[in-house]
Amino acid sequence: MGDIYNEESLKFTFFRPEIFVALCIALILIVLAIIVGIQARRADFKKAPKGLLLIVEWAVEKLDAFTLDTMGSGFENFGGILLGLIPFLFLCFTIGITGLPTPMNNLAVPLTMALVTFGFIHFTAMRYNHLKYFKRFIDPIPVFLPINLISMWAPLISMTLRMFGNAIVGWVLLSIVNWSLESVSASLFSFIGSDVNQIFLVPIGTPLLHAYFDLFSGFIQTMVFVFLTVLFIAQEKPEDIDDNVALATRKEVKE
Amino acid sequence: MTDVGLIALAAAIAIFSSGASSLGEGFLVGKAIEGMARNPEMYGKLRSSMIIGAALVETCGIYALLISILLIFVYGH
Repeated sequence: MGDIYNEESLKFTFFRPEIFVALCIALILIVLAIIVGIQARRADFKKAPKGLLLIVEWAVEKLDAFTLDTMGSGFENFGGILLGLIPFLFLCFTIGITGLPTPMNNLAVPLTMALVTFGFIHFTAMRYNHLKYFKRFIDPIPVFLPINLISMWAPLISMTLRMFGNAIVGWVLLSIVNWSLESVSASLFSFIGSDVNQIFLVPIGTPLLHAYFDLFSGFIQTMVFVFLTVLFIAQEKPEDIDDNVALATRKEVKE
Repeated sequence: MTDVGLIALAAAIAIFSSGASSLGEGFLVGKAIEGMARNPEMYGKLRSSMIIGAALVETCGIYALLISILLIFVYGH
C-alpha cells in the first residue's frame, strides 16, 4: 500500500504508455483526415470515388442518416463528430491485439471521452433552454438543489466506468489466463530447460479470448457509447420546439 | 496488510451483484426473442436494440467485477 502513494510514482504521470498510444492513434487519424480532405478537394465529382475516399464517403452518408434518424433536426453537423469519435474509440479498444498497451486501461482516456460527451450535453441544454437551463437544478422544489447537483455527474461517472471497466476486466482476465497457461506450459515442457518452454500453450488458449474481449467487447462498447452520446444530447432538445421553426431561426441567426 | 481473508470475502460479496445483472440480461433476451417470434420482420431492429440493452445491463456486473478486482489487487497486497 505504501509504495503506491510515494512521490516517485507521482512524477511524470502524464506520459504513461497508454496515453502515448492514445496520442499516436489520434495523430494517425488526423493524418488520415488530412489525406482524405486533400483527396476530396482534388476529386472529380463526375467520376465514382475510389479507395479511401469511397469508404469515407460511405461512412459520412451512413452517419448522416443515423444522426437524422436518432436525433432529429437541429443536429445536422453531428455526423462529423461521430466520424472522429468512432474510429478513435474502436482503435483505443482494439489496439491491445497488436501487443501495445490498451489506452482504455488508463482512466484518463475514457474520462476524457466521457467529459466531451458531458460538455456536449450541457452545451446543448444551454443552447436550447438559455436561462431556463438553471431551472433543472431546483427541479421540483429548491430543497432538491444538493441532490440535483450530485446527480448531475451520474452520466459522466457511468460512461467513464463502463468503458474503463470493460477494458480493464478484459485485460485482467487475459493476463490471468496468459500467466496460468505459461505456468502449465513451463511445467509440461520443462525438459527444454530454458525460458522458451513457457510459450507453447499460450497461442492455443488466448486468441478466442482476445477476439471476445478486444474485438467484440470493443465494438459493442463503441456502439453503446455512441448511442448514449447521441441519445443524451438529443434528449436535451425540448419536445415542444417545432423543428422547422428552430431550423428557420438558426438560419436567420447565421445570415 | 494482514486481513487478506477478509478482503477476499469482501470481493466475493461484491461479485454477487453480477448475478442479478445476468438475471436481468436473461429477462431482456427472453423478451426480445418473444418479440421476434411474434413479429419476425422486426428481427433486425430488435436484435440491435437487444445487444445495446444487454451491454447497458452488463455494466452493473462489470462494476461488480471491477470492484472485486480492485479489492483483490489494490488492497490485497
